[in-house]
Amino acid sequence: MSRNAGSDVKAAYLFIAPAMIGFFVFVGYPLVRSFYLALTKYNGLTDPVFVGLGNFRRLFTTDPAFWPALRATGYLVVLYVPLSLILGLALAMFCNQRFAGVRVVRTLAYLPVVLPAIATITLWKFMLDPQVGLLNTVLDRVGLPQSLWLQSPKMAMPSVVLVMLWGVGGTMIIFLAALQSVPTELYEAARVDGAGPWAVFFRITLPMISPIVLLQVILQTTAALQTFNQPKILTGGGPGFSTNVLMLSIYNNGFPSLGRIPQLGYASAQVWVLFMIIIAVIALTAKFSSLWTYSDSTSD
Amino acid sequence: MTALQTEAIRSEAAATAPPAKKKPRVLGTTSWYVVALFICAVMVVPLLWMITIGLKSRTAVFDIPPRLLPHEFHWSNFIKGPQAIHFPRLFLNSMIITALSVLGGVMTAMMAGYALARLRFPGRKLWFYLFVGSMLLPGVVGLIPLFQLYKSIGWYDTWLPLIVPAFLGGNPLFIFLARQYFLAIPYSIDEAAKIDGAGHLRIFVSVMLPLTRPAWLTMAILAFQASWNDFLNPLVYLYSSGKWPLSVGMASFISPFAGKTPDWSYYMATNLLYMLPPLIIFFAAQRYFIQGLGALGSTNQK
Repeated sequence: MSRNAGSDVKAAYLFIAPAMIGFFVFVGYPLVRSFYLALTKYNGLTDPVFVGLGNFRRLFTTDPAFWPALRATGYLVVLYVPLSLILGLALAMFCNQRFAGVRVVRTLAYLPVVLPAIATITLWKFMLDPQVGLLNTVLDRVGLPQSLWLQSPKMAMPSVVLVMLWGVGGTMIIFLAALQSVPTELYEAARVDGAGPWAVFFRITLPMISPIVLLQVILQTTAALQTFNQPKILTGGGPGFSTNVLMLSIYNNGFPSLGRIPQLGYASAQVWVLFMIIIAVIALTAKFSSLWTYSDSTSD
Repeated sequence: MTALQTEAIRSEAAATAPPAKKKPRVLGTTSWYVVALFICAVMVVPLLWMITIGLKSRTAVFDIPPRLLPHEFHWSNFIKGPQAIHFPRLFLNSMIITALSVLGGVMTAMMAGYALARLRFPGRKLWFYLFVGSMLLPGVVGLIPLFQLYKSIGWYDTWLPLIVPAFLGGNPLFIFLARQYFLAIPYSIDEAAKIDGAGHLRIFVSVMLPLTRPAWLTMAILAFQASWNDFLNPLVYLYSSGKWPLSVGMASFISPFAGKTPDWSYYMATNLLYMLPPLIIFFAAQRYFIQGLGALGSTNQK
């Protein structure tokens, strides 16, 4: 290899050049620029005017919509992430068994993930209609109480989360891959020792897949913090501010409809609040990960 | 699904936890299949419901209580619905945008993966960490600066912001995946090709690409779905409805313009056509798909 070192270097930079340019344009530049814009008043037409931390002051003190947006985002994360992980893992364990038709279940559980978000979200919007939707019809037939779903300030966010959970197959497939990489000898040894199903789960399965669980916590949380499609299409942020998550607020400030003036600097400040929250989540999860993840000695 | 029902599958699946390949059944086989059937129903019934709505008349959709099956079948919805949003044109738009994004995304990721895994050059580690690290950067950070950038160079209301990024290593996850695959190929193979006088481009095209078929096919499928399903970017960058891809067109279908109630039966019929390409690809390439994602699950662990 060393003989060709010179040509290797030249070739390497040619091969990697597109991705390198992309890194500067799509990672480096936006980071610097959006931070600068967050400190300005900017409508996209005239030059940005530097206002220091003015945008942030306005966000945290005078904006009546910001705290509700933070609360809605937090509520969504707290509701969605644990449910998606538990449901995804349960589904993965179910699909990791051997029984006739398991592949059909696996495929169907993953199916919603491959369908376009817009197609499935609008489908659910219709299903959640209080009068003519399928959900209330079914609840009515089996004698359960109906709900206003998206039209009720209390039920709107749980409904949004319900729609998101229909895509739990995405979480499942990653857990399934993790479960399949757990050595079967461990289970056999546990069975010889007479361990029950719960002991096997908590002493073997969970520790062995804990790195993937950690990864999923980070990925699901950061994705949930950036949820946009579901509230945008299902509720438009309403009723009231009940589903007006931070992403929707950023979009509406930065790209307003009906001839309102864009507040790109102000929206950028909100982007940075969201960004800081995401960094904090990643840092905290990583910091506490050593307490509960198991790492085997072969991986360094 | 109500919270109660989700609780039910959760606890039932957890109770039968041990994922051993043998058969430690806590529940009987019957309840096992009840759970399986329930999962399938939750996934499939909404889609069947969509089809029945697509076949109902425009007014039958609003019957109270709703009928599960259409009273009479309106196959014409599959013609009239698509006509309402100029479906052929939006379909073609989506196809062009998606085809180019797939080509660009897969090509640049494979090239970068090849260099990172198989060539020695200064800064190799650094670039790998930068690419992997950029996966953690939330997309929203780029939204406003890139919007301004594209606007200032005249790309607003064109397809370029939806296509060009793919040709510049737009998806760091793909670079990571490509590198993992390239690392698994024995080095003796390209040593042999080099002795035969092949250059890097030749090795990449005629030796490596055939060997890494599962990798780039998986990426192509993922890239297809990402682009076909993307909503936020076209929503932000495209103003003229004639340039919209289907995602934005479909969303506009049901937004209540001027207080008009949306034509749900037209919408659902069209929605089915919109879903069809990703659906066909998923079922055709399922094997590669599961294989590729499996690799993702296990490589992440190391």
